[in-house]
Amino acid sequence: MTGSPPVLSVDGLTKRYPGVTALDGMSFEVRAHEVVGLIGENGAGKSTLLKSLVGLVTPDAGTIRVRGEAVRLRGVAHAGSVGIGMVFQEQSLVPNLTVAENILLGAERSAVRGGVYRWRTMTALAQEQLDKIGSTIDPRARTDTLTFAQRQMVEVAKVLTIEERIASEPVVLLDEPTSVLERDEIATLFAQIERLRKRASVVFVSHRLDEVLEVSDRVYVLRNGRVVAEVDPATVDATDLHHLLIGRESGGSHYHDEAQHDCDGAPVRLRVEKLSTGGCRDVSFDIRAGEVLGVAGVQGSGREDVCRALFGAIRASGGRVTLDDRPFRLGSPRAAVRSGVGYVPSERRTDGIVPPMSVAENLSMAHVGEVCAGPVLQARRERGLVEQWVRRLGIKTPSPQTPIGTLSGGNQQKVVLARWMIDDDLRLLILDHPTRGLDVGAKSDVYALIRDLAAAGCAVLLLSDTLEETIALSHRVVVMKDGEVVTTVETPKGAKPDPVVILEEMV
Amino acid sequence: MTSPDTAQPRAARPAPATGPRPAAGGRPRQTWRPRGTDAVQTTASLAALVLMILVFSVLDAQFRSLDNLVAVVDAAAVLAVVTVGLTFVLLLGAIDLSVEGVIGACALTVALLVANSRTGLDLGVLGVVVAVALGAAFGLASGLLSTRLRIPSFLTTLGVYAIGLGVATILFAGERPIVEDAWLSGWASSKFLGFAVASWVAAGAVLAGWLTQRYTRVGRYAYAIGGAEDIARLSGVPVARYKAAAFAVAGAFYGLGAVMATSQLGSGVVTAGSGLNFSAIAAAVIGGTLLVGGRGGVLQSMIGVFVLTVLQNGLILAGVSPYAQQAVQGVIVVAAVAAATWPVRHRLGVVK
Amino acid sequence: MRKPTRHRPTVLACVVASGLLLTACADDGGSTSAAGDGTCSPDEITLIGQVRNQTNPYEAAWLTGGDTFAESVGLEQQHLTYDGDSQRQQEQIRQALAGSGMECAVLNVLPNGDSDTAPIVAAANEAGAFLVTQWNKPAELNPWDGFDRWVAHITYDGEESGYLIAKALFDRMGGSGGVIALQGILDTSAAQDRFAGLQRALSEYPGITLLDEQTAGFDRAEALNVTRTLLTAHADHVGGIWAANDDMALGALQALEAAGLENVGVVGIDAVPEAIAAIQEGRMTATVSSDGPWQGAIGLAMGYCAATGELDPASVDNDDRAFFAEQFLIDQSNVAEFAAPELDMADFDCANVFERATGPIG
Repeated sequence: MTGSPPVLSVDGLTKRYPGVTALDGMSFEVRAHEVVGLIGENGAGKSTLLKSLVGLVTPDAGTIRVRGEAVRLRGVAHAGSVGIGMVFQEQSLVPNLTVAENILLGAERSAVRGGVYRWRTMTALAQEQLDKIGSTIDPRARTDTLTFAQRQMVEVAKVLTIEERIASEPVVLLDEPTSVLERDEIATLFAQIERLRKRASVVFVSHRLDEVLEVSDRVYVLRNGRVVAEVDPATVDATDLHHLLIGRESGGSHYHDEAQHDCDGAPVRLRVEKLSTGGCRDVSFDIRAGEVLGVAGVQGSGREDVCRALFGAIRASGGRVTLDDRPFRLGSPRAAVRSGVGYVPSERRTDGIVPPMSVAENLSMAHVGEVCAGPVLQARRERGLVEQWVRRLGIKTPSPQTPIGTLSGGNQQKVVLARWMIDDDLRLLILDHPTRGLDVGAKSDVYALIRDLAAAGCAVLLLSDTLEETIALSHRVVVMKDGEVVTTVETPKGAKPDPVVILEEMV
Repeated sequence: MTSPDTAQPRAARPAPATGPRPAAGGRPRQTWRPRGTDAVQTTASLAALVLMILVFSVLDAQFRSLDNLVAVVDAAAVLAVVTVGLTFVLLLGAIDLSVEGVIGACALTVALLVANSRTGLDLGVLGVVVAVALGAAFGLASGLLSTRLRIPSFLTTLGVYAIGLGVATILFAGERPIVEDAWLSGWASSKFLGFAVASWVAAGAVLAGWLTQRYTRVGRYAYAIGGAEDIARLSGVPVARYKAAAFAVAGAFYGLGAVMATSQLGSGVVTAGSGLNFSAIAAAVIGGTLLVGGRGGVLQSMIGVFVLTVLQNGLILAGVSPYAQQAVQGVIVVAAVAAATWPVRHRLGVVK
Repeated sequence: MRKPTRHRPTVLACVVASGLLLTACADDGGSTSAAGDGTCSPDEITLIGQVRNQTNPYEAAWLTGGDTFAESVGLEQQHLTYDGDSQRQQEQIRQALAGSGMECAVLNVLPNGDSDTAPIVAAANEAGAFLVTQWNKPAELNPWDGFDRWVAHITYDGEESGYLIAKALFDRMGGSGGVIALQGILDTSAAQDRFAGLQRALSEYPGITLLDEQTAGFDRAEALNVTRTLLTAHADHVGGIWAANDDMALGALQALEAAGLENVGVVGIDAVPEAIAAIQEGRMTATVSSDGPWQGAIGLAMGYCAATGELDPASVDNDDRAFFAEQFLIDQSNVAEFAAPELDMADFDCANVFERATGPIG
């Protein structure tokens, strides 16, 4: 095997975004007929890496080599032409076309002659691809009538059309392929991967450690945009991987641990009983006034559903919620705001701010009542309020009239937080990944704000990217898995548990 | 603020809680859209049409006569051809507001090229071909403007509308060309198997539209682009090129519609297409060719064409006062659109 | 306590300012009447014709008539078209009258609607330009109410038009049978007046029955479709189609011919060239002409005479400053005269410009 160069090798790949380094000198290689696992927490750089490998992201530095030849990828179609294909997590099939059309889309070959479709040829060509993976899906079926797992198989078949375009075997990237599959479907997928490796190399990306260990020949552990370890699945177990994943950073101080406020004996602020949505069921917990409650769980655990349902952004199918012992109506963000509940969404750029509007307008948005006399906005009162908060939170902006889209992520997030902190009666703040995409300094500022809020008696429900952050900020952590609460872990000041304890419950 | 729910990628949307429950410890099941919403939708549109026909048949005996069937079909011909064209644009998820301008220009063109009262020309069939080609050129211009300059089709087609009307006005030059070509006049006045020749031309155009939609790249890629433009692009589909092509196909149908209208009106009229743009969009949507793109098709749009034509015809025959007709028509169109889009309303998300 | 005192200077300023304005206006008025005494030499005069658009034969003919007159006095007519957009019409008027030396401008304007006339009159009077309006004006606004620059308003008696063609149609039918009426846009006074004329004629011809009335919005394509539908119900009884304009009449004619109905009379209003051709060929019965080319020329002629001083608007009788102009029924008997309409330039001599007035509006 040492004779021929690796099918795919990545050397020193680097990609920086304002405020974050997504890839920081990432290097690894994939050899022929190998299944390589990539694991890492959210933010470790997995998705940026995959996007670079199919030409959707142009790296700032580093090289990608296919069979020893350096390539600059210009897009998915180009990546396919050099032999790299990807099965996207959020699927890339056109729902209103047939399976056959999707498999051959953009590369119909003899199925289209002179712009005219020859459906019989198309069906036959697609069937060839489906046969490669032994699928029984009807190529004439409309794609939106298939199950998710079936569509994933169609995607695999589509990726394999690369074989017809190149002389050698392709590399197939599978991005979190198991995240929404059933158990038996996962088993089928694994059998499929075994089959696939006979004709291709496979990169399997997942955060489910047991699955990665089961299916991979070698595993790379990613953290903070770089490979921190390469392990042999035969010689490690999940616990070893946990330690590698989380790392042993000094951590501690920038979480302002000492500022964690004791909330024992405080009254229960929010009580959730048997809350169910499309993605979670029978979730029960409570939060005391002044308490920060973390919710831990991997993707698909349903924790996002819980917080979105509480704020009314998605529908709850059942459950009872009380706020300060009074029934709390679900399903209306407006009602939630009125009863003193705030929400900081994870997709800040799309859901949290209105980029072309000014800092001031973004800041006073949720509580326009504070700066209005009747329907008329009182510019002077708005200005005063805004200046006060810009000072208090140290928001770095040229002026309150600056469009918020031009600020850094950290300052944008402070504005979003300030929007809720304006409300003296804020009783519960739901934080959905509040530090996503922020640099270390900005993160530290946000932590301090969360501590202040809690100390002032506001209850906080926290979903965070990393376990470490969750544990450090929370008084207690609820662990969710597969849509249900599996356990609750106390995380008091001075007695924070080892993240591995929680991680083991999560997966 | 966009709701976080709609911001999720489509495929990752969780299933309703009533979906099949996996065994204990399994994950909540994810499902795709319900099966065959298009079929449900077509059924709903057809049901609306049938219901309307039944009601009018009960209200008025004239309505159910064979003569009236011919009248309805003949009256639907121009709208049908224009709607076939517009369907291609709607499939892309784009909109076309240039219809009336393009028809004006093509109507004057064909009237001036066949035997007429103003120019000495007598090109016959060739004149028709030129008019259709001119329509295609206008469509291509709309398509290229929106794809190359990245301007929404809403605006570019409005511009092309104005250009078309301007060209038509220049060609009109103060004097309507009266069509003296017996062959072209015959489209409107001669009958074949009971129906006007123009109706057969329309039937041919609908068939051609359907074949284009089913068997050509332009047609199939229109579906792909309307269904998921970004995915089509990721798959290597030259999206801009095929968008422009779909607009050109649409323009050719407008051109043919203009020729038919000119034959019916007997002369080149600048405003030959007046009211057709709105009617064609309404017809397509009623039939199930939704503005979101990728759904419906030529045949579905034809259902909408007949809903509108039957409605106009029926209201007159049923003796509804002309003063009330417009309002009644509006109410019924809104109801028909609501009925037709009901099965897919949950898919439409934010309505703008 | 301070607020009231702060108001006083403002109020004072307002009074003073409005006083100044009043004075300014009075000054303006003075100079205007001075110019009205025929201070413009012919080559100083600007002729402006404004209609909705050039896409219909009637308004196109109007502009052509204006051109012919302009040529006869050695000038050129400036064409303005506003596409039936009231706002655009006002904007065009404002721009056309911007600048100095407008005391010698002459405007012949087709206001978009009744309510558009007042601002046009005001703008012309302020700029000192001579104005003739046609067709639309509110009943209570009249040239003799202090608008010495608004020479005249010309319109046609729609009731009379509707009546004339109805009579022609009924006579052709021999005084008995069924007719279908195609109305214009229902909320316009033109449509209403013309239909009233039809009803007067119906009351005089007891043998004629109105089978159906529908609107086709003055539109040819719509008339084609509506007639087609109506014919399925009335094909056996219909002896004539009365349309509120020629475009609809021609659309109805196409529907009749497509249905193979040869012997049905069709009448319209406007005398567009196609209708005249159809009358010549015997396919259509009659139409009414307001004489578009004359309309286009007469407005400019009146203004021209006023500007050169040959006509003093103030001395014209009120009955002539807002009048119904003569209209002509065109049928088989006289169609040849109208087939190639020619302006009689004698109509535009300053002494003859009110020749076609048939009486005051009302």
